[in-house]
Amino acid sequence: MKLQKIVEALDLMVATKNADLGAEVSGGYASDLLSNVMGQAKTDMLWITMQGHQNIAAVAALLGLSAVIVAGGSHVEKDALEKAERNSVVILTTDLPAYEVIGRIYALGVKNEI
Amino acid sequence: MKEWLADLHLHSLLSPCGEIEMTPHHIVMRAAEFGVDMIALTDHNASANVAPAIEAAQEFGIRVMPGMEVQCREEGHIIVLFDEIKQLEDWQRQVDAAMQPLANDPVRFGAQFIVDADDNFVAEEERMLLAPLALSAEAVVETCNRLGGICIAAHIDRASYSLLGQLGFLPRDLGLAAAEISQRGIEELQRKALQPLTGGLPYITSSDAHRIEDFRQGPKTSFCLAEPTVAEIRLALRGEGGRCVKPGCYIGKKT
Repeated sequence: MKLQKIVEALDLMVATKNADLGAEVSGGYASDLLSNVMGQAKTDMLWITMQGHQNIAAVAALLGLSAVIVAGGSHVEKDALEKAERNSVVILTTDLPAYEVIGRIYALGVKNEI
Repeated sequence: MKEWLADLHLHSLLSPCGEIEMTPHHIVMRAAEFGVDMIALTDHNASANVAPAIEAAQEFGIRVMPGMEVQCREEGHIIVLFDEIKQLEDWQRQVDAAMQPLANDPVRFGAQFIVDADDNFVAEEERMLLAPLALSAEAVVETCNRLGGICIAAHIDRASYSLLGQLGFLPRDLGLAAAEISQRGIEELQRKALQPLTGGLPYITSSDAHRIEDFRQGPKTSFCLAEPTVAEIRLALRGEGGRCVKPGCYIGKKT
């Protein structure tokens, strides 16, 4: 599923400038422990978190994630957005709680192969 | 130059998880008994028991570095240390302003007591101290460094409240002076495995004690310093000017 479709369906805010929403989303991962995300999330996955530290941009770039959704109205640091823009990482935000975000994306048919 | 056996991460009864026996007077008395020369009382987002500890320590000749274990927005713990109580008080005001309005539940999380230098009850802290501040890791480190303090990423080898665990890696420009490893018998192993992720920070070991027995048994760090100050500790961590730091020391095994 294209990232654009998920952004529209959940009415997500696009926090990074010049974001390319054409990426194909292959599945999803949810965690606020970045060390865990680094070991578990896979390329093209969508990552749902409450963390807004600049390292979310580094981890997303390292893994080649399709986008990061910072849920629950959580604050995203300015340097996180700058780092994301420099590395072509898309950061999306929403006031919806993480559980609700994940449930709605799953209902759209975005599932992992387990 | 003198060797200082130090434990720079200790909790008093002001921390919700600190045992009642962890009064400032009792801690410095036992420090003297154990041969620990320098300590820091580092309660969660709080410092009201530090001045009583400094007062009580005069009797025992123990150096108490004013300090705190800060919980940043990302839910990592950072040990901050200062030379003077005034600097810690300045920092405490910023912590108070950034604290969430949550009340502690003493039954579920443990009571938080402020006492004086003679262990007399002064007050019960009613705010929930073990909670993240509305300050990023960067903001905590930058502010404490500017106030003349030094910042150490706490227990990076733990599963919870580790800045390394929360952030995946420690950004090189964060301004930390060291990383702390807390568990026993894993010093070399952890250093080798974790150092690339910490940006090559030097490391220290501390007990993170919440009761006296853990203070006695837990790891300490030996510092070779001209005097027990932040500037000297910085030199020691960098191995400069003949100062040095030796983690993985224990009571009774001082070398």
